[in-house]
Amino acid sequence: MNIIIFYILAAVILIFSVLSVTSRRILRAATYLLFVLIATAGFYFLMEVNFLASVQLMLYAGGITVLIVFSILLTSNIDHKFEKSEIKKNIFSVLLVALGAGVSLSVLLNKTFNVKSNTEPVHVKKFGYALLNYGENGFVLPFEVISLLLLAAMIAAIMIAKKR
Amino acid sequence: MSIQSFLLMRHELMLIIIALIVLIAEIFTPDHKKGIITPLAIILFSISLIVGFLPAIEGNLFGGMYNTSSLIVLMKNILNIGVFIILLQSNKWINLLDNRIKISEFYILLFITLTGMFYMISSGDFLMFYIGLETATIPIAALVAFDRYNNKSAEGGIKLILSSALSSGILLFGISLIFGTTGSIYFKDVVGMVSANDSMMILGFIFFISGISFKISLVPFHLWAADVYEGAPVSITSYLSVISKGAAVFIFMIVLYSVFNSISDIWKNLIYVIAIATITIGNLFALRQDNFKRYLAFSSIAQAGFILLGLISGTELGMASVVYYVLVYVFSNLAAFGVVSIISFQTGKENISDYNGLYKTNPKLSLALTLSLFSLAGIPPVAGFFGKFFLFTAAAEKGYYILVLIALLNTIISLYYYLMPIKAMFINKSDNPIQTFKTDITSKIALAICLVGMVLVGFSSTFFETILKYCFGI
Repeated sequence: MNIIIFYILAAVILIFSVLSVTSRRILRAATYLLFVLIATAGFYFLMEVNFLASVQLMLYAGGITVLIVFSILLTSNIDHKFEKSEIKKNIFSVLLVALGAGVSLSVLLNKTFNVKSNTEPVHVKKFGYALLNYGENGFVLPFEVISLLLLAAMIAAIMIAKKR
Repeated sequence: MSIQSFLLMRHELMLIIIALIVLIAEIFTPDHKKGIITPLAIILFSISLIVGFLPAIEGNLFGGMYNTSSLIVLMKNILNIGVFIILLQSNKWINLLDNRIKISEFYILLFITLTGMFYMISSGDFLMFYIGLETATIPIAALVAFDRYNNKSAEGGIKLILSSALSSGILLFGISLIFGTTGSIYFKDVVGMVSANDSMMILGFIFFISGISFKISLVPFHLWAADVYEGAPVSITSYLSVISKGAAVFIFMIVLYSVFNSISDIWKNLIYVIAIATITIGNLFALRQDNFKRYLAFSSIAQAGFILLGLISGTELGMASVVYYVLVYVFSNLAAFGVVSIISFQTGKENISDYNGLYKTNPKLSLALTLSLFSLAGIPPVAGFFGKFFLFTAAAEKGYYILVLIALLNTIISLYYYLMPIKAMFINKSDNPIQTFKTDITSKIALAICLVGMVLVGFSSTFFETILKYCFGI
């Protein structure tokens, strides 16, 4: 049963990712992206990492897509269609993607992974402890530095938006 | 963990505090008094520069996520000196009426990106490395678009953010493959598990190298450099080409030497090819440029290729020569950018053909630019010669004779284009030369620091010996 769901989710992700980058209307591209993100959350549920799945749903599918749609509606004309790309460019990009995928796949398929037998669901409490732990396997430093990055990004956005 | 152990992070903590002080000062100063932010930022930064030189304790924090050693402190101090020079150079430009409203944002973003680079150099795991890298990239894209009413500046910002997003994607994919094989993000755990037989590890490593190569703008990941450098304000261009590149070179070297040392045969082959491509293509493209910023962009691509020569050797000498070269490069490239920025600020002219007959009208600036170009080309009296000399020695010591030969041939090509502006200034005649003007005092100080640095670092052997003392081989 799991394997069938896995293939369905994988198909959804593949199809909508391709549609998202090939669509010539920007709002449609954003909508296709939403399906990709939701299907990714499906993967997480399948692996029983519920916390990650809910974060994926709330932040990416819920928050970020809405943000993208808002910014599209505020800035550009939604009826606008992008120009068709040249056939030569298309052929080259398809070749390049196929080459990259081929190399990665040939490596990944030949690798035997250690399957972890422990499938106990991770409790959210553990995330909280790890986030504020300053010892080994603790993440308080990255957590704080990311907040610095966020501050810088906000200031940068304000700087660009500032009027003369 | 006691409060003293935070002293290990003094470089970063000082910068964060300065950024916050500038932020608070911005809130409480009225619009017509924004001018006081510049002296505030420069004075605070010079304090942090001095504190950085105080004797340091070694060690690590946060369970190995943050490492520091005398070598890392030295690297941070080199970058600090560079940023100090840039702050002095940008003083006049940032206080222009148009730029004044964004003055504190400029300083805050500059300091936070520098903090990001410091965290990146000090990182003990891939997560901190990646966060440091992003902190050092995203705000710079906004700084490139500082002059956003100028189309080229906005275009440069967009190009930088898009191509860096792509390269970050590749880098992350590489890191995830490495994590997939080893099950750990800590450098100290990964070291033991790196093996040349594991193809997934190698693939991850190649993606990882591509991500960093983008930051150092090595060929074939250099295509963003010229447009971004041309569009950005001169101070930001020099920041990108000197500080950001230097930081990336440092962490690249640390990771190669201490994490991936067991697969050194593989990365040596990779770097061999990249070095030849980078030096040659950088030089060939620099030959044809007329815009001074584009010209310096391609010259800095070629310089990065030369740096790889020291890196490839994998010896103590190689590491010392790379650190030394970056120090020399900070002084010489910032001197060149300093002159370009002064002239661009005074006259708005940025093309090499505009420099015709500059010696007649502004002899001092011409001499400064000549010295810095000599140093970049590697002509004896100045430090650039010794920098290149050590890099070539390090590579030749390990038997890379063909590589050294190609690099030497390229040095000759580079001599041609480094002498072109000098010919323009001293020999070419112009009906309409740049007028004589007085340079402002802070830019003069910055240029003086660069020139003294170039001569002193070249002639005094203590610098190289101090660096060599802290370095390590594979």
